Amino acid sequence: MRKFKRNEFGGFLSNSFIQICLIIWATVELFPILWLFMSSFKPPGEIRKVFALPTSLYTGNYDFDKFREGGITIGIYLRNSAIVASLSLLILTIVVLLAAYGIAKLKVTGKNVIIILLLGLVGVPVHSLMIPIFYFFNKLNMLDNIWGLVLPYVAFHAPFSTLILQSYFKQFPDELIEAAKIDGCSNIRAFFTVVLPVSLGAVSAVTILNFTYIWNEFLFALVMMRHNASKTLPVGLMNFKGQYLIEWGPMMAGLVVAIIPTTIFYFIFHRNLIKGISVGAVKG
Amino acid sequence: MVKTSNIKKKELREYITGDAFVLPVLVFIFLFIIWPVIQSLVLAFFRWDGVGPWRYVGLKNFVKMFTKEPLFYQSLKNSVIFAVVTTFGEMAIGFTAAVLIDLGIRCWKVYRFIFYLPVLLSQVAVSLLWTKIYAEDGLVNTLLGVLHLENLQNVWLGDPRFALWAVCLVSMWQFGGWHMIFFLAGMQGIDPQIYESAKIDGASTLRRVFSITIPMLKNVFFIITILSLIMGFKAFDMIYVMTSGGPAMATEILGTLLYTQAFDVQRYGYASVIAVVMVIIAMLFSMFYIRLSGYQKEAVE
Repeated sequence: MRKFKRNEFGGFLSNSFIQICLIIWATVELFPILWLFMSSFKPPGEIRKVFALPTSLYTGNYDFDKFREGGITIGIYLRNSAIVASLSLLILTIVVLLAAYGIAKLKVTGKNVIIILLLGLVGVPVHSLMIPIFYFFNKLNMLDNIWGLVLPYVAFHAPFSTLILQSYFKQFPDELIEAAKIDGCSNIRAFFTVVLPVSLGAVSAVTILNFTYIWNEFLFALVMMRHNASKTLPVGLMNFKGQYLIEWGPMMAGLVVAIIPTTIFYFIFHRNLIKGISVGAVKG
Repeated sequence: MVKTSNIKKKELREYITGDAFVLPVLVFIFLFIIWPVIQSLVLAFFRWDGVGPWRYVGLKNFVKMFTKEPLFYQSLKNSVIFAVVTTFGEMAIGFTAAVLIDLGIRCWKVYRFIFYLPVLLSQVAVSLLWTKIYAEDGLVNTLLGVLHLENLQNVWLGDPRFALWAVCLVSMWQFGGWHMIFFLAGMQGIDPQIYESAKIDGASTLRRVFSITIPMLKNVFFIITILSLIMGFKAFDMIYVMTSGGPAMATEILGTLLYTQAFDVQRYGYASVIAVVMVIIAMLFSMFYIRLSGYQKEAVE
C-alpha cells in the first residue's frame, strides 16, 4: 500500500491555513470528549461551572457502589456487556472465518446466490426484526438471557464481516495453500496452519470493529433485557438519564466507563483498523 | 470410466467440505434475519397485544396506518430529513477533512486519528453527553452567554423548531470521520502523477481538487451516499436517547414510532406495518447499491 504522498505545497500561507482549519475541527471533535473527562472529576458544586478546570481530582463520581438503581451498580452493567461481547465475538469470528474462507477458496453450492444474499442482508433494518425476535425468545422464556442477545448479534454482524473477509481471502496467494496441500494437508488443516496466521491483521481489524458495534449496541439490548440485573451498559446508562438530571457527575463517570474500552482498543489498534477498513472499502 | 467416477467423488467431497464451511453462517442468518423478516411481514396482517393469540385482521392495520395515522407520515418525513441532512452534512465534513489530510501536511496522522475516534464511541454515551451540552445550563448556552449572545440561548432539545436539527448536528459530529476514512481510501488510488502534471500546468490546489479528485472519486461518492442514507434511516439510538421522538413528535422517526407502538402501547401487529415499510425502503436502497457495486466491478474488468 502506497504511503500518502508528501506535497510540497505552495507557501507558508496555504500551509498555515490548512493547519488552522484542521486544528479548529480537531478541537470541535475533541472538546466534548475532554469536557466529559474533566466533568467526571468535578464535585457536585463545581460541575455547573462548565468551563472551569477541576480544582482537584475528585473521584467521588466514580464511587459506583454509591450510585445504584434498585441495587444494581454500573459494575453489573459493565459485566453484562463484557460477557455478551466476548461470547458474541467468539462465535461470530469462528462462523465468519469459516464462511469467508469457504466462499473465497472452496467449492460451494450456490456460491453466487449466497454472495448476493449477504450483500442484500447488510441493509436490513434490524428494527424490523425486533418484534419477531422478541416474540421468539419470549416464547422460550429467554428474555433477560444473554443468549437472546448473543445469537442475534452473531447473525446481524455476520453478513458484513463475511463479505469483507472473503474479499480479503480471495487475494490470498493460492500457491501457499497448494504447497501445504502437497505436503499432505487437507483443506481444513491448510486453513488453520497457513491462512489464518498470515491473515491475523485483517481478522483483528474486523474483530475490533465488531466489538465496537456489539459493545455499543442499544436497540436489541433495550428490547431483550428487561430487568436491571441483566442490562448491558448502554441500556443501564439510560437509567442515569432520568435519575441524575441534577447531579451530572455520576452520569459523566458512567459515560467515561462506557467509552473507555473502545477508546483503548482504538489507541492500540488504530493503524490496523484504518488499514483494514481501507482495504475493505476499496476492494469490497 | 473408473477415473470419471473417482473425479466426481472427489468433487462431491470438495463441495461437501465447502458447504460445511458456509453452513453455520447460513443457519444464523436464516434463523435470526430471514425468518424474522418473514414473520414481521406476516404479523402486519394480525393483531397481537403480546399476551393473547394472534388475531387475523387482513389489511386493517395497513389501512389504518396509511390513512388515519398522522404520526406515520410525520415520522417518515423526519426519517427522510434526518437521513438526507446527516448524509450530506457528514459527507461534506468527511470529504473536506479527507482532502486536507491527503495533502500530507505535518501531523496528518494525528488529525486522522482524532477525526475517526468519535465514530467508535457508543451512540448512547455520545447522545447522553450532548444532552448535557445542549442543556439549559450546558456547554452551548454557557458559551453563548460568555459571548454575550444571551438572546440566542435556548432549550435546544426541548424546542420543536430546533430539536431535529440539534440531533442532526450530533450525528455529524460523530460520523464525519467515518466518511473521511472512505474518501481517504479512495484517494489512495489516485496516481500522484496526475496531480503533478496538473500542478506543472499551473492548476491551483482548489482547482486540482475539483477537477481531479472529485471526478475520480465519483464511485466512492455514490456508494457512500447510499450506505449513509441506509444508516440514516436506521437511526434509533441517538434520537431515542436525546428526545424519544419529542418534543411534540418533532423528532419522531420510523424507528422510534415502531418501538413505541410495539413496546409501549403493545400493538405489535400494527407496529409491524412500520417494520414492513422499513424493510421495503431498505430493500430498494440495497438493490440500488448492489447494482452500483456491480457496475463498478464491471468497470474494473
